[in-house]
Order: sequence, then structure tokens, then C-alpha cells
Amino acid sequence: MAILVNKDTRVLVQGITGSEGARACREMLSYGTVVLAGVTPGKGGQSVENVPVYNSVREALLKHPTINASLVVVPARFCLSAGVEAISADIALVNILTEHVPTQDSARLLALARAHNVRLVGPSSVGIISPSLGKLGAIGSSTTSKVFTPGPVGIISKSGGMTAELALSLSRAGLGQSTAIGMGGDQIVGMDFADLLKLFAQDKDTKAVVMFGEVGGTYEEQAADLVEAGGFAKPLVALIAGKFTASLPEGAVLGHAGAIVSRGRGSYDSKMMALRKAGVKITSTIEEVPVILGELIK
Amino acid sequence: MKLYEYQGKELFKKYGIAVPGMGAGPFVVKAQVLSGDRMKAGLVKFAANLEEAEQYKKELGGEGLIEDNIPHVSEHYLSFSYDTSTRGPVVAYSRKGGTGVADAAITPVNILDPHLPFEKDSELSIVAGKLWELFISEYALLAEINPLIETVTGKLIAADAKIIVDDEKTDPGQRRFIDMGGDIAVLASGGGASLLNIDSLISAGGRPANYTEYSGNPPAKVVTELTKRVLSKEGLRGCWVVGGTANFTDIYETLRGFVDGLREVKPKPGYPIVIRRDGPRQKEAVEMLNEVARKENFDIHVFGAETSMAETAKIITKLAYGDSR
Repeated sequence: MAILVNKDTRVLVQGITGSEGARACREMLSYGTVVLAGVTPGKGGQSVENVPVYNSVREALLKHPTINASLVVVPARFCLSAGVEAISADIALVNILTEHVPTQDSARLLALARAHNVRLVGPSSVGIISPSLGKLGAIGSSTTSKVFTPGPVGIISKSGGMTAELALSLSRAGLGQSTAIGMGGDQIVGMDFADLLKLFAQDKDTKAVVMFGEVGGTYEEQAADLVEAGGFAKPLVALIAGKFTASLPEGAVLGHAGAIVSRGRGSYDSKMMALRKAGVKITSTIEEVPVILGELIK
Repeated sequence: MKLYEYQGKELFKKYGIAVPGMGAGPFVVKAQVLSGDRMKAGLVKFAANLEEAEQYKKELGGEGLIEDNIPHVSEHYLSFSYDTSTRGPVVAYSRKGGTGVADAAITPVNILDPHLPFEKDSELSIVAGKLWELFISEYALLAEINPLIETVTGKLIAADAKIIVDDEKTDPGQRRFIDMGGDIAVLASGGGASLLNIDSLISAGGRPANYTEYSGNPPAKVVTELTKRVLSKEGLRGCWVVGGTANFTDIYETLRGFVDGLREVKPKPGYPIVIRRDGPRQKEAVEMLNEVARKENFDIHVFGAETSMAETAKIITKLAYGDSR
């Protein structure tokens, strides 16, 4: 049945008139996902790919009360207000693709999402896809059907590019995916590995999960804590990047904003130790992932 | 962006947090550098009078901060930062300053309804309130006072300042570049893949010259400039251009930018160049690269999605070092 996104997902696109928003709208429609409305303040009355545009989330919800997911693709400086609008309207799932959102704004959005019991994914998410059921965002693009195929493996990734690389590698080995989620590589994100693993644990179609993590923050350690506490009992494979950062100065930032070189908790060694202790299978190359998974779920 | 101590103290003044002034002495002179533990590095000096202080300032390269060395009864630690386990701001406080955050009690702060865990109207609560205001208004990732000194009269003064401002607010999308000391230049795309690829290169026996990364759909010009910067290093023995299978990035544009940069590098690179990339317009890109290699005599080896990124780490390492490794 997949997690977060399925055939019943009804999408609102915030920032639909921008080039990224319009592309996401087009790609979702061509994948068969229902996009009911878009929002761009001041552009109400227009349409994008025949999807009506409204000035506010409230207005869009009045006309389309079945909306249950919002994709936020607005410029970074408007992200806080757009996210607050969606969360305050209690849309069940808010997926923020916007990159370069200040940490403080992300913290505010997450705190509000918790108060409203809204599932927040992102910022800096590449989107969410449940192959053959639906997707949020342009994830997979025109090659979607080749890269993402339906099957039993869940993917959670801090990196958008790695979400697709892992899916491609799995699909080539005949291992399809239940749902693939770009959780984003910022310091503060909405749903983290542990939150998403809990959902995958409940999903009977998911037989195993692969996660891509990297140095910085403690989301990998928290995932290990969850597994160790018995909160996720299915096979889990982790691909963790940034071993080389042990020799770099503490505080240096690499790639994603959350990939901060750390000593102790947050470092590569800390993540490896925690995951290994929890019994998670660890690998350092994409190519090994389907090999390990294939053995775990055969 | 990390601020210098003097910049941090200017912010403290703006938010009403007391900092040492300049009276009749004795003084403390502190080098304005961003590295930690200046005391240990000999970058903090104590002077009895202004003349001596000015002399120390000269010795420290003229960038020293001179201020009163204030007698105090205790040193505290106080900071605000973000924490990934609570995924929100936290306040850290310790009565034992100087040693850092390690000994501090850490308490989450509700960003939507902040209450600080200090006795109401106490001196500490007032200073913490002002530091919180700075932390929020300036979009800081870290606002730290260490030590926060307590004078005989119970007044709290910020003797040091460490502020990190969120780049995403002040200067979003900065390109990250780190010298890694090796001899294989790396142009990697993708925030996550770039980290994994450096790991792969090292595990294949390669020595990366740098870490850098470009993401999204960069214009050719951006790639050109990055190429020139990465290949300007002396003593290179190879160049590795590596990335995954792009959804939207125009691979032809990206690699045309790389070639433009390559042509401008002096002396002309004779070392092997391994390119692994796939995505839109890949075929045209491969044809263009092969033609440039043939006509302009570059040692370029191009690979697509059929060869893994990790595999091309081994290939560039082998080509760069031959058997001399």
C-alpha cells in the first residue's frame, strides 16, 4: 500500500506558476497523480496545465476540499509563509522542495507541523514517489518508469540524486520500490529517518528499507536508536557518505547544508558504530545495496 | 558564516548585552582570528597598561581587540543553537564557563512560544533573553557567550562572542570548496553523491586534490569557472568529473562548460581526465567530448550510467598513477 503517497493523494501545488512548480505539476499529471489546484498569491484565476490557480491555500481548499497533500515549490524567502499557510490549513502532508530555507524557518515550520499533527517532509526534498501509485514533485522526470519500479523496498534519502541512483540500481536488479522519499539534507528537516521507518514498519507492502545518510546531525544515530529499541524490525541497509571528513576541520559544511563536519555524535564513525550496533547492514557503494537487499528479502 | 569576536560584540551591544569597555587597565589583548582556543595558541595577552597593550596588538599582527580585563568572581557558559535530536533551538547553560558546551545543561526552547529555563527577572534571565532575541533576529545558527563573567557586584558581562550566522539567510547557495591536499582534481555533482564519491576515490587509492560540488542545473559559465579553479592547482595527476544520472541537468551544457574551462588552464593538462555522467543530452555530450579529445589532444575518457561511479574512481586512480602508486 506504500506510505505517504498513494492513489488517493490529491495534490495542491504552492508556487505552481513558477518554472519548477509548473514542471512538477506537468510531471505529476503525466504520472497519473491527481493535481487539483495550485496557489500563487496574486495569480488567482490563471491555470497551469489546466489546473486552476488560486490566491491562497484557504481559497483552494474551499473549492477543492479533498486536497490532502501540498507540494511547496516557492522561492526560499516565501517558504516560511507558504508552509505556514498549508500547515495551518491542516493539509495532512506538506512536502517542501524549496532549497536554501534558513534553519530558523525550518524549525518554525516543524514546530507548527507538530502542533497541527501535519506530516512535513523537507525542505530540500526531491519529492516522494510510490511507483505506479503516484508522486509528489517532478522526481524521476520522464525517465520515472525506468528508474522507479513498483516493489517491496522503501528508500529514504538525504540526497535527491541518491534517491534516484538507489532506485535505478534496485530496479536493474529486479527490486522495485514501495515508496521513495527525499527527506532533504538540511540541518533541520521535517520527517527524519526514524519517523519514516516507523511508517514503513506499518506498511505490509514494504519488506525492507534502504537509507542514504551522510555526516552531520544525528538523524542516522536516531534511526539506529529506533531499530535497537525494536521500533523497526524489517531488514534495513544503510549507505553512509563522508568517511573522508574525519580529516577535515570541525564545522566545515559539505554539499548539503546539514552535512556539517562533526566530532563525536554526528561524525561518520558515530553513525557507523550506532548503526552497526543496531544490526543495520552497512555498505559504502550503491552497487552493493541490491546485492545485500536481495539476500535479506529472498 | 562565523563572525569575528569584535563583530559578535558589536551585535551584543546592539541587543543590550554588556561587553568589556576600555578604561584605565589592566587590559586583555585578543587576536581576531576564527580558530578556537586562542588562549592555548598564545593569541591572548594580558597587559598592565595601554602602551603594553598596543605593543601586544602589533605583535598579534595589528588585528587585536583591546579591552578591560575585568575582575570577576565566576565564569558562565551560555549559548543558543539548533539541535537535530529535538529538531529545534536549544539553550545551553553552565555555571562553569571556559570549558565549553560539554558541561552545559541543554534545554529545548519552543520556537513558537519561547520560555527560557532561568529564574524570572534574574540577571541571567535578562542576558539570556537578549541573546535569544539576537539569535532569532540575526538568523544565527549559534550565539555563544563563553565566558559570561560575573563581577563582584553580580553584573554579567560577555567576555567573548562566538556567532555563526545562517548562510542561507545572508548568502544562499554558496559554493563549497575545500583543499584536500592530493593530486586528483575532482568536479563532483550532487550534494550526497559528491561525498560518497570522495569516499570511493580514497578507497580506490586515489588522493583527492579538493572537495567541491555543483548541483542543480548550473549554467556552462559556472562550470567553466569551477573547472579553472579546480585545475589551477599544481602537481595534478588526474581529473575526475563525476556525477549520477541527472533528471533535468543538461549534461551537454555542463560538460561544454567543463571543456571551456579546460581550454583555459595553463599549462595545458596532459594528465588523464575521466568523466562519468548521464542524463539529458548525454549522447551529444559524449560526441562533443570525444571530438575535443581527438582534435585538441586531451586524454579524456567518458563513461555513462553503464559504468558505476565507484568503478570510475578505480579507473581514474589507475590512469593517474599507473604502477607508480
